[in-house]
Amino acid sequence: MTPLVLVLNLCLSFAGLAALCLSMNRHHAQAFVGRPSRRRALALRIAGWAGIAVSFAVAVTLEGWNFGPVQWLGALSGAALLVVGLISYRPGWVRPIALAALPLALLVALAV
Amino acid sequence: MRTGVRQSMAWLHGWSGLVVGWVFFCVFVTGTASYYRADISHWMRPEQRERVVATTPEALGQAAEVAVAHLKAAAPTAIGWYITLPRPGQPMLDLAWMTSLDAPFGHATLDPATGTEPATRATRGGDFLYAFHFELGLPPLIGRWIVGACAMIVLVAMLSGIVTHRRIVSDFFTFRRDRSAQRGWLDAHNMTGVLALPFHLMIVYTGVVTMALMYMPWGVSSAYRGDELRLYAEARQMPAYRMPVGRPGTLAPVAPMVEKAAGLSPEALEMLIVNNPGDAAATVSAVFEEPHGLSHVHPQVGFDGATGAVTDTLLDSPKPATLTHAAMMGLHMAHFAGPALRVLFFLCGVLGSATVATGLVLWSVARLPRTGEARPFGLRLVQTLNVGTVAGLPAAIAAYFLANRLLPVDLAARAEWEVGAFFAVWLMAALVPLALSHRQAWQAVLGVAAALFLAVPMANALTTGRHGLGGDPLFFWFDAAMLALAALLGLGAAKAGRAVAARERRAHRPARGTPALNRA
Amino acid sequence: MAEGSMARNRDIGWGYRGMVAGRVLLAAFGGYALAALSTALFSLILPLERSEAVAAATLASFAIMAFAVMAVFAARSLPVALLWLGLPIAALGGGLWLALAVFGMGQPA
Repeated sequence: MTPLVLVLNLCLSFAGLAALCLSMNRHHAQAFVGRPSRRRALALRIAGWAGIAVSFAVAVTLEGWNFGPVQWLGALSGAALLVVGLISYRPGWVRPIALAALPLALLVALAV
Repeated sequence: MRTGVRQSMAWLHGWSGLVVGWVFFCVFVTGTASYYRADISHWMRPEQRERVVATTPEALGQAAEVAVAHLKAAAPTAIGWYITLPRPGQPMLDLAWMTSLDAPFGHATLDPATGTEPATRATRGGDFLYAFHFELGLPPLIGRWIVGACAMIVLVAMLSGIVTHRRIVSDFFTFRRDRSAQRGWLDAHNMTGVLALPFHLMIVYTGVVTMALMYMPWGVSSAYRGDELRLYAEARQMPAYRMPVGRPGTLAPVAPMVEKAAGLSPEALEMLIVNNPGDAAATVSAVFEEPHGLSHVHPQVGFDGATGAVTDTLLDSPKPATLTHAAMMGLHMAHFAGPALRVLFFLCGVLGSATVATGLVLWSVARLPRTGEARPFGLRLVQTLNVGTVAGLPAAIAAYFLANRLLPVDLAARAEWEVGAFFAVWLMAALVPLALSHRQAWQAVLGVAAALFLAVPMANALTTGRHGLGGDPLFFWFDAAMLALAALLGLGAAKAGRAVAARERRAHRPARGTPALNRA
Repeated sequence: MAEGSMARNRDIGWGYRGMVAGRVLLAAFGGYALAALSTALFSLILPLERSEAVAAATLASFAIMAFAVMAVFAARSLPVALLWLGLPIAALGGGLWLALAVFGMGQPA
């Protein structure tokens, strides 16, 4: 079960971190054109932190307080690395992959 | 020194990081490899096929008797015998014994079915890299002190790095490759450091804590008058130690003790420790595997050596502070991690090694002289050590694996020859920068390392019957890892050539001034 | 310590080198002394079982040493750094002397 939970965490963390990344002026300009509007930046920030919070809740619920935080941090680091890699080399892919990660997370959640 | 905190921490970060960077790159890389210590050992003993390991109490008792019989002949007057019992995936008996407090331990590996040395090639396997991680191949006391001191300095470097990183949040995802080389290396250094920052802080602190009582014995001095064994007994970490009485005694049969212990705990029995085996006051400790959890706590059952009666059972959870210490050690060694989580830990270890490596390179790039000026001696020294360490250590590890496959199986002192290959290749790689230009040195050593890693799966396929596509997942993943490392190092060699050449071209244009390190 | 990449060896005077050496020695020995004294003292006086007190005091000591080292380098000058470390060391040393006098070494649990 643990590998599935890790994949779930990865998907949620990736989506959340991607949102936070795109809410920043510099990275928004890398992926789209120009800076985000204030509303968009706010929406992305909220979505981003929500994604990270949900992944923490999922990790702790499914793996307990002993292992949950450890796995959550591991998945977060892995997801962060992916986001940085994508935004640096393929910025246009960040939004599509983040959006695809959400239904994937749902599928994995059902399997768990 | 009337500068702000940020600037003084920047200075501290740069210098403390440099001074220990080379040692700590080695500690980080071998530590990361040690996450797969058992797998590496398996790969390096290809003759050892998977076989069903009987772990019933009776089977373990028999194995223990075989071990004790061997030890009675090999080390009857030892202070302690340490018998690692067979487990699934590890069918051999691992014996160690301590004859005196200063001498190194004696070792032997036995096949429990035959009572003799197993028919696998002599090798130190993954244990060599594991021991190198905290001893650097030096005598244990010296090596551990050096690693411990470096770890404390790295902790200071990390904390000062956090203080000095002005835009740690807004630069979290930033990796600029299109600006100056120095900016690129700085971003890479920041990125690899910050992305896995919780891991980095945890791994260094828990590493130091793993040897806490060696580095900081003053609590034992003040509260226990130096009686460390009493501390362990009171903390319920081991049964009370009985001093030898000086009269010879006979050890009761251990098989009944093993069977009795196995019945007392649901965990697998891992190890048997016999204290003062030849003495009348001998004691036996049955040590179990850690229960599934973060902490590195082993339940134990203590026996009287002469009669075989149970004297002490340590089966419950320790108290908060002791548990915290055990949990920190558990986090460092990650025994609890299943395959998926282990990959993530490994990845974080790679990021940590990359943080150290990019930091070392950044240090030298930031101090490149302007057009036409000669490089000062200090910079040349740093650059030479950088190549020798960052590119040389991977080459040495590949050579170690390669030697395992290429050396004759029945060569005398084979294990020492493998270790010799590791150090010989490393030494050669470290000397190369003295003969070549800086760019050529990076290309050459990274290229050699890539070639060596590429050669490992080939040597494996040629000399053993067990190659990656033969159905054994261990061999598949090992080959895949070797190829991935070869690709990574080869890519590095190619880029090193281009990057340094570009920098040299830029350096010959009219200077526009290089950004100062603390303005970056 | 604004050291840009342009500082050359001959621009750095011996006074500066002496100050750096002084801070390094103070940080290393003073930092370790601070950590060691705090470990010894708190192992005796923490209101926990003896083995617990030793564990807690020892675990915390490494963080104490790390912060002590940072304080030495963040201080405005070497004499100020000496004060930053010297005062806590004196306090802990005095406390330890008192604790040993009151409890004696190896107070039973």
